[in-house]
Amino acid sequence: MKQMNEAQLNELEKDLNAIRDEVLADLGERDANYIRRVVRLHRALEVGGRVMMPFGFIPPVFVAATAMLGVSKIIENMEIGHNVMHGQYDWMNDPSLHSQTYEWDTVCTGDSWRLTHNYEHHTYTNIIGKDRDYGYALLRLSDDEKWRPAHSLQFINYILLSVFFQWGVGLHELEFERIRRGEISLKEKLPFLKGFFRKGGRQAFKDYVFFPLITFPVAPIVLAGNIGANLIRNLWSSTVIFCGHFTQDAETFTEEECEGESKGHWYLRQLTGSSNFSGNRFVHLLSGHLSYQMEHHVFPDLPAHRYPEISEKVQAVCKKHGIHYNTGSFARQYGTVLKRILSYSLPDRLREKWTALPQSA
Amino acid sequence: MLSRTERTSALQWLGKQLFNREDPAAFFDPLLERINPMWVQQYTPARVERIEDETADTKTFVLKPAKRWDGFKAGQHVNICIDIDGVRRNRTFSLSSAPAQWHSNGMVTLTIKRLPGGLVTNWMHDNLKPGATIGLGEAFGDFLIPEAGEPLLYIAGGSGITPVLSQLETLAAANYEAPVTLLYFVRTQADIIAAQKLYELRQNWDTLTLNIIATNESETPRFLKDVDLDEVSGIEQRRCYLCGPKGLMDLATALLTQRGISEERMHSTFFAAPKAALDTDALGGEVRFSTSDIRVSSEGDAPLLDIAEAAKLSPRYGCRMGICHQCSCKKTSGTVVNRLTGKSSGPGEENIQLCVSVPQGPVTVEL
Repeated sequence: MKQMNEAQLNELEKDLNAIRDEVLADLGERDANYIRRVVRLHRALEVGGRVMMPFGFIPPVFVAATAMLGVSKIIENMEIGHNVMHGQYDWMNDPSLHSQTYEWDTVCTGDSWRLTHNYEHHTYTNIIGKDRDYGYALLRLSDDEKWRPAHSLQFINYILLSVFFQWGVGLHELEFERIRRGEISLKEKLPFLKGFFRKGGRQAFKDYVFFPLITFPVAPIVLAGNIGANLIRNLWSSTVIFCGHFTQDAETFTEEECEGESKGHWYLRQLTGSSNFSGNRFVHLLSGHLSYQMEHHVFPDLPAHRYPEISEKVQAVCKKHGIHYNTGSFARQYGTVLKRILSYSLPDRLREKWTALPQSA
Repeated sequence: MLSRTERTSALQWLGKQLFNREDPAAFFDPLLERINPMWVQQYTPARVERIEDETADTKTFVLKPAKRWDGFKAGQHVNICIDIDGVRRNRTFSLSSAPAQWHSNGMVTLTIKRLPGGLVTNWMHDNLKPGATIGLGEAFGDFLIPEAGEPLLYIAGGSGITPVLSQLETLAAANYEAPVTLLYFVRTQADIIAAQKLYELRQNWDTLTLNIIATNESETPRFLKDVDLDEVSGIEQRRCYLCGPKGLMDLATALLTQRGISEERMHSTFFAAPKAALDTDALGGEVRFSTSDIRVSSEGDAPLLDIAEAAKLSPRYGCRMGICHQCSCKKTSGTVVNRLTGKSSGPGEENIQLCVSVPQGPVTVEL
């Protein structure tokens, strides 16, 4: 991480707080209208997709219905669920958009997400050993972790994690790696598992039992479409999230260097540990504005649709303090993610050889 | 055949499976709202039909609630919700019309005075237009007319007349035969709310005695006096209803108690955030919000809702005066004092209203 002295860190804190205060003072009808419009879009897409799905025996209708349902799930998970649960819209005092009670359309329960994501990941971002989102205890993504032969096949793990992403996220709180190491017992996790099975069962019942069953003659088509929609959502959200912290220039940190850190240091860590990607309005909406991951990590509870407009101010602050503003096209950023997953599957000596090779642009 | 409740709970179960929420019907609100705002399920929508001027600073809003609204009894109040600059605001007002009117034409009225600096009342006066919809909750409150034909005394002040209007109209329609007296305190004659309705009632209803007293028209303010009560015949036998500013209510309670009228025969309702006399020395202590793991110290001068908000938490809230229970929340340990009643809670786990609860020693709240 870039070294900054205490005075510089205080200055960084002041600069970022100023941006935050300006947005907070300006929150109002515009933000309420925005999120309500997105919620309306989600409802329309979901209702449309569900109604069209039974007519999926016509191939173009099948494609359209699956895409609509998939996109509706993406919007609900990314722009609505994730952001609402961060408390971005708590100030609206609308019970259906309240962080503590919102329950989203995915296997992970809201409570589990509020703990593992809002608290753990956002507090300990990219601190190896503390941020369990870093590699999801499945992947080796930095040389902070020693290479083991099992890592050589980690690309397969990555593909499986992406395909079953909602189940992986849902089970994240289980801390399977710690159970395997004998640090905690399965019994301690029973309350969590109860919630996981209830929510997971509910999600599976809806998409794989209820909707196919009520459209009985075409049940296989509806089942296939619903599986397809969940798959689209899983692959996309996994990809967006991997682009957030695992790109080439996203840094990692040790527990020692973050011990007793100041708010300014926390800000610096959020900026240097995160990465953005560019795109059009639609890409930002579908990524829940996690395409502005740096802005999100610095201001997790500001309404996400504000990130594009504050991005320029954040960039100016980065420039002033000599902090790398990590962004690039989606393809470029994702390319570096894949390269990281692959290169760290190799033993250090091979990896060093590979990265030493001249890279094509 | 399934009973209605069984059917709804099965439906609710299914709704929860499909939409992951406690109020599954409201999943469709964002779409329904666009088609017809009266179809919203999250709250009962009510359309503003007319707005009438009562005095310079008081208006009556004539509302038509959606058909599923459960109705009310004379003297009850409702929570309303209104979005102002993106923020949903909940407030409690008493219904000023009689239930009979709602039964006959589906309309109810709220008579609302501008409060100095009041966000919602001023917004309603300045921005609410006929044709708009607002959210309405179910009616509640136990400020109700007696079942038996007892003689009655009403003491009302200012906009405290609103639940009384609903009751008087209901009693008049039922040809209530026992004597009824209204002592109505207003600042000046120009501040009489629903003056025409009151005069009409007096004209058509023999047993009503109307005494309107202007407090601020002479050089020294003219408040409730013992002689006002002397004029009420057979006052000892009357059931008494008080509604108005706290000063008037305290005074009335004291004077009536002196005359030997028991607490059980006095009914009151208030609409100003009450500041009950508190023994502040015994109040305050460390407050722990357990869900967010935040600890703050309390001086005992603010309710838990303010303390939570100062700690950057956003608990749900409504009326902020202990009526609507929107801010009810689980206290897991410690004692709180209810500002309204002055009573201490038990020490264990219980639901408390954040907006009127002041910590008495260390308290843990699930928030």
